Amino acid sequence: MTPPIGAVAEQPEGRTVSVTMSVPDDDRVPPEIVSSVFYSATVSDTLALVVAEKVGGRSRITWGNVGAVELLGYGLDDLRALPVDHLFPTLGGGELKLLLRRERAARMTLPVRTASGATVEAVVTTTPSPNNRMWTIRILSTTSEQERALRATADAHERRFSTLTERSPVPTLLSEQGMRLAHVNDAFCTLVGRRAEQLLGTGWIETVHEDDLDTVIEQVSAALDGEEVETQARLLRDDGTVRTTIIRFAHLFTPGVGAGFVGTIEDITDRLAFEARLAHQANHDPLTGLPNRTLLAQYVAGRFVPGTGGLACLFLDLDNFKVVNDSLGHTAGDELLTEVAARLSAVVRPGDLVARFGGDEFVVVCENVEQDAAVALAERISVELARPVRLGGVDVRPYASVGVTVQTEEHLSAEELIRDCDIAMYQAKAGGKGRITVLDQRAREDARDKLRLVAELRDAIEKREITLLYQPIFSTVDGSPVAVESLARWDHAERGPISPAVFVPLAEESGLIAGLGLLVLDETCRQLAEWDRLMGWAAPARANVNVSALQLDGNLPPQVSAALERHGLSPSRISIEITESALMKDPDSAREILHQLRDLGVELAIDDFGTGYSSLAYLRHLPVNCLKVDRSFVAELAHGHTEIATAVIALARSLNLSTVAEGVETPEQAAELTRMGATYLQGFSLSQPLTGGHAAAWFAAHGDRTR
Amino acid sequence: MTVTPLQARVETDAFDLEKVLASIDTMAAQRPVAAQIVSVANSDDTSAKVLSRILASDVALASRVMKLANSAYFGMRGRVTSLQFAVTVVGFTTVRTMATVALTELDDESRLPENFWDVTTSLALASSALAPRFGERPQDALCIGLLAQMGAALLNHNDREGYAELVDDNPDFTARRVAELRRYGINSLRLTAVALEQWGFPHSMTSRLNQVDDFTSMEGGLLRSAFEVAARLTTEDYDTVPIVRLSCGQLREDDLVPVLDQVRADADELRRAMLGDVDTD
Repeated sequence: MTPPIGAVAEQPEGRTVSVTMSVPDDDRVPPEIVSSVFYSATVSDTLALVVAEKVGGRSRITWGNVGAVELLGYGLDDLRALPVDHLFPTLGGGELKLLLRRERAARMTLPVRTASGATVEAVVTTTPSPNNRMWTIRILSTTSEQERALRATADAHERRFSTLTERSPVPTLLSEQGMRLAHVNDAFCTLVGRRAEQLLGTGWIETVHEDDLDTVIEQVSAALDGEEVETQARLLRDDGTVRTTIIRFAHLFTPGVGAGFVGTIEDITDRLAFEARLAHQANHDPLTGLPNRTLLAQYVAGRFVPGTGGLACLFLDLDNFKVVNDSLGHTAGDELLTEVAARLSAVVRPGDLVARFGGDEFVVVCENVEQDAAVALAERISVELARPVRLGGVDVRPYASVGVTVQTEEHLSAEELIRDCDIAMYQAKAGGKGRITVLDQRAREDARDKLRLVAELRDAIEKREITLLYQPIFSTVDGSPVAVESLARWDHAERGPISPAVFVPLAEESGLIAGLGLLVLDETCRQLAEWDRLMGWAAPARANVNVSALQLDGNLPPQVSAALERHGLSPSRISIEITESALMKDPDSAREILHQLRDLGVELAIDDFGTGYSSLAYLRHLPVNCLKVDRSFVAELAHGHTEIATAVIALARSLNLSTVAEGVETPEQAAELTRMGATYLQGFSLSQPLTGGHAAAWFAAHGDRTR
Repeated sequence: MTVTPLQARVETDAFDLEKVLASIDTMAAQRPVAAQIVSVANSDDTSAKVLSRILASDVALASRVMKLANSAYFGMRGRVTSLQFAVTVVGFTTVRTMATVALTELDDESRLPENFWDVTTSLALASSALAPRFGERPQDALCIGLLAQMGAALLNHNDREGYAELVDDNPDFTARRVAELRRYGINSLRLTAVALEQWGFPHSMTSRLNQVDDFTSMEGGLLRSAFEVAARLTTEDYDTVPIVRLSCGQLREDDLVPVLDQVRADADELRRAMLGDVDTD
């Protein structure tokens, strides 16, 4: 047995290990070989070392370490006789000299043949000795267990990764270098409708929309530089369609190779289309496809610069649209609106906006126009719209009332501009249908004044600044006062007294009538209760309260009932006066409400009787107590026209109703009406309207017991 | 396993393989920057920053890397303006390949066999284009294609007349390699592999070179097929060999049509990038 020589080697990690070397007895390894081993090699358990020498033209192995014996499977003696070329079967011909270089070390990865004849893949490094006849040969197997395990793990990782990307529904790109792709998954191929071969390398670049390519390259640059980035880009499919995507790039670094990227793609085409649809729906009218009121407001606001001019608004309202809808049906109405929208869009100038404001209202907005041009456009529109449209077999000419407003320095906001042309349209409509009205300075001021008045009216109602006067009503039998009619008065602090003929319609237009009506009802009841307290039996027996057509709904009976109850009055103390025209707006509903009021026990009178066109048959079914003969018929008496007053009074008598003749101005009229058989009289000649306090005094002086 | 089958050879007196191999080291000494890049680029912990700093001191080489990074092959459309980014785009192996080209004076056409770069660019681009079919990285395939003929250049350099004659007598690459082995004891691809291995190029790349002539080896199939593409594009009156056989069944003739087009389209640009502008060199 050869005695071992112990040697100590320093490992790179600084760990010291013992290596046992077998050295032939008779042929000692020159010290320079041994030192070269330790200076050039990292010694480890898997390292095999042999020494070769060229003897007689053939290189033979002269020595080997334990690692070599283990790796190659030869006994040491067999190894010592072995020709070197026997170990390296692939180095045929003269190629052994590629490995055993005289002047320098060499390194090759090649198969090494073992004693069994099997080969082991190994990295072989040779170092020549200075005499050029001997070489140290290091053999490092690349197929050690550890290597295999590492490779197997790496392969498993690789397979997992490729399976993951391959099966992933997320389109994925894997770069190889720069913009070049090494890998695309099925999902990406499906997304762009191409085969992987067409996409690898730089092929995929053709799928990026030309206008987005610069951005994509920029993002790839950033990703290669180590950033995580994303960009929106359009991808072209093979069939010519375009998909909008978000591409997210992540940096990928492979040691010894360089930088690449992983790209994942999210197809947002459908989402964008959906969002666009939603945005369009939010801003457009579904029937005509025109911009709606919201977009109109945005559009005008976006172009409105206060203190300048140039914007013009045309507000159109179709005349008689309701007639079409009611007579030909809603489908025909929709058809008409669609046709009008199309005509408007065709007739305006390019760049003008046509919007559907709502219902049968349209707005056209023009930029950079003077008033003349805006009016000319309105005329063109009117002509165009007036061409007949065939709807359900009927030719309809859709006339429109058009309000025109051109921006002035006084317009402080976009809303004012639109509101002004709305006002102009109402003025056009009021002036007769099919007209065009320009809102001029005066009209604008009027309109603004009216707006102010509405605000003041609202305040007046809230603060109960609307006061009531009470006009006595007399019996024709004995001339005694039997009741009063409550009359609302508004004494404005700056404007002076404002006529009910002004403020009642204003309240009706501006939604204040309910408040006003409640005020009158409640104040009347309060006054009656006060009179009762002050005067006892001498107080007026009844008060007549006027109710607007707009109050005639289901709320009225409970409101009346509540007011009576609040002031502790019997229902018979109140008579509700309703105009004939109010009853005719919705006769069925009106009759229902009158019945409810009647059931409460209040009296009912029809005001201004004879001015409307109510059918007598209808009248007969209404639960009223009294007809009021309109003042116009009373006034006619002075001219000898007694026919209508006579007829109304006769009618009332035959229906067993009482009558009140209004507007009695002279004693002659009073005498005449009494002769005709009127039940009660009311008028300036008999008594002016009085305040609550005066009425108390007046009744105390004139009143008889009236109840 | 590659077995070099032919033992018989007619070694010329003038040719000394040892000398050729020794000359590779001498070359490195003459182009120290290129040599440093070849050695550094292989390291696992190298970075684009380190490589570009070294590269910056060889202006000619640096400008080639820039040019290549901006070539159609990498698809960056002139976006590459810094050397460090150029190194990132082309990859470390490519930088190393370009340094090797400079090191072995493959950029000096006066020292090269006729037609050398026409064949080399075709070989490299075809190899890159076909790589995915063989499960290989196109980038490595490009590099090995660019370097494959380095051995031929060395043989030519050391035996100019003899090698020119050998090339004339053997226009077919396979036959030429047999003739090289007979004349020099080693064929040009094997010589390339030895040199690259000496410089530390990974065995996974160099082993492909050794397997080209083993028709049963799929690993050699890629370069074998690329040689066929190069021959079809650069050799006059070339008798084509069925690609199915050369590629171990990985390719059909139809597959080659787009590859031939692409190689033709990109070859000039790659050549310009590899050799640099004529007037600056």
